Amino acid sequence: MSDPLVDIRDLSLWYEKFKALDNISTSFTAGKCVVICGPSGSGKSSLLRCVNRLEDFQEGDVYFEGQSLRECPNIASLRSNIGMVFQHFELYPHMTILDNITLAPRHAKGKSKADAEALALTLLERVDIVDQAHKHPAELSGGQQQRAAIARALALEPKLMLFDEPTSALDPEMIVEVLRAMRDLANDGMTMLVVTHEMGFAREVSDEIVFMDEGKIVERKETNDFFSNPHSKRAQDFLDRILMKI
Amino acid sequence: MDWSVIATHLPFLMKGLWMSVKLATLVVIFAFPLACLIAVGRISSRSWIRYPSAIFVNTMRSNPLILIVFWFFFLVPIIIGRPVGDFASVMIGFIVFFSAYFTEIIRSGIQSVGRNQIQAGLSTGLTYFQTMRMIVLPQALRNMMPALITECVIVFQGTTIAYVVGLREFLNSTFLITEITLRPAELYTFAAIVYFVVCFAGSSLARQMEKRKVRT
Amino acid sequence: MTFKYDFDWPMLLEDPYKEWIIEGVTTTIYLSLLAWVIALTIGIIIGTIRMTRSPWLRFIGTAYVEFFRNIPLLVQLFVWFFVFPLMLPNDWMLSWNRLPHIPFITALLALSLFTAARVAEHIRSGISSIPKGQFDAARSSGLTEVQIYRYVIIPYAFRVMIPTIASEFLTIFKNSALTLTIGVSEITSSAKAIEAWSFHGIEAYSVASVTYMTTTATVVLFMGWLEHRLRIPGLIAKK
Repeated sequence: MSDPLVDIRDLSLWYEKFKALDNISTSFTAGKCVVICGPSGSGKSSLLRCVNRLEDFQEGDVYFEGQSLRECPNIASLRSNIGMVFQHFELYPHMTILDNITLAPRHAKGKSKADAEALALTLLERVDIVDQAHKHPAELSGGQQQRAAIARALALEPKLMLFDEPTSALDPEMIVEVLRAMRDLANDGMTMLVVTHEMGFAREVSDEIVFMDEGKIVERKETNDFFSNPHSKRAQDFLDRILMKI
Repeated sequence: MDWSVIATHLPFLMKGLWMSVKLATLVVIFAFPLACLIAVGRISSRSWIRYPSAIFVNTMRSNPLILIVFWFFFLVPIIIGRPVGDFASVMIGFIVFFSAYFTEIIRSGIQSVGRNQIQAGLSTGLTYFQTMRMIVLPQALRNMMPALITECVIVFQGTTIAYVVGLREFLNSTFLITEITLRPAELYTFAAIVYFVVCFAGSSLARQMEKRKVRT
Repeated sequence: MTFKYDFDWPMLLEDPYKEWIIEGVTTTIYLSLLAWVIALTIGIIIGTIRMTRSPWLRFIGTAYVEFFRNIPLLVQLFVWFFVFPLMLPNDWMLSWNRLPHIPFITALLALSLFTAARVAEHIRSGISSIPKGQFDAARSSGLTEVQIYRYVIIPYAFRVMIPTIASEFLTIFKNSALTLTIGVSEITSSAKAIEAWSFHGIEAYSVASVTYMTTTATVVLFMGWLEHRLRIPGLIAKK
């Protein structure tokens, strides 16, 4: 087995006195799609945000391609190799979709305007909203905005994509179109860490499931194995509850 | 630096400060009720009340205070037909000027309480007057408290403008002592510190109330 | 109560009054515009450092704002005019005193620094109104802190703040009247001088008031237009 792309060692994170992540050690290999699930407040989003050092974790470390995040001298340049998609899209409202996508390639990766725009249009084509390129985010539907946000993250030509509950803020008919874009991405071999409650997506697309509760990884299994044979009681309860809903 | 000059003239300076405080207090006491009336006029549905109120407020707000003071200093004796003294002229100018600013604060305070609150009050059988008194005004007052206190600080800062017509408030007293002692560095620094302490206390209070407002 | 007053409007068009008025209007506009530009520049810097993570920078920013906001502008003018030169080293003081237009330069300095504190405060509340996720998104895409502010935060905050930026120009415009106390010949001082010479206060002060009010009206209209032009498509303006 090759070296892991992301290696997390003894990671702990507190918000004030609340311990959000409790001594987590795990790793993720390139080319896999891993879904992180668990009840709300279990620390799954915090874990994801630590991989991009959006949280200043107090203990332990995260290594990306062997580089320590804690000691990374240029965190901006490291982040420019990791794409991230947020629950509330976080497109920049004062820029057109095209400008949203080309901003980081131009200013963080030093691409020319022409190159960045060509890439952006290809990516918009891929998520099927190339006709929206010159509009502003607020003129798009939620699903279109999230697909634009995915294109924006892909424009970094990332080695890893992080998805933080990408469909939680969407209406059902829009969830479908966003999940489709994510599935295509996974099928193309992108390394993905996805925090989501969409168990249908998890079962169909992901290679592995990480189940978290109370700041710890309770269980980590191959997808089929997790669904057919969850080991821990908490994972069983969680699955019962969430599958009942579907 | 020779700070003894301040100690020597402290009684005179404090008399000036007292004048500033008195001026500011009187201005607030008179301008606030006046502003309440104008604010009601500003949101009135009758255009013959609404327009004059709006014109008054916008006229005052687009002129500098110092010019308004000059206006009233010149006009008040002419209109009344006899001199009324510096203090009265300046006071009237200040009251008229600041009532416009208070009006806007009160107006947005009242408007910050949604229409639904009025309807909720009416729906429970309260009269319009009761609804206003028991439901809208308490909320409005709470919402506008920080802005009102900030405005009081601005009124206090504004009293320095009485300096230009020779009224012996704090800045003018400081100026006079400088003329006598030729120690501007110590005296104006002292004046700046005194104003800072008073105004900082006021704006800290306003900030505190703003925080409390956000929390609840 | 009797109102006795002989109006003489045409006198305003005669010399020397006409000249005073022209000089006054020019000085007021010139002073306000310059001070506004400087105040915006300093205000943006101070406002931004108040949002950084460094507690030292934040403290400096807060101290600046509190200091300049809590001392009356007139007192600040006097401090800059009477005290500041005395604090300079001797040879500096000599060159300062040799500068032409000292009242104007002092007025510019005082107005800009005072207004910068207000601008900084507006910038801070503008920036705080930006959702935290915008920072996360920009950070996660590998932009540096400076780039995040330059490309994402400030342009966005700027649009939110157009009305306040405009009203700050009007504040400076009105506050510039105070500089007559240190001998700047702006429009209120011209009006005062005309009144003192002619005893025609109503005509004299009308000129000044009309100057302020037309400027206010013009700026308000222009800003309304600009706000409309720069509005972000699809976003409903929050009133």
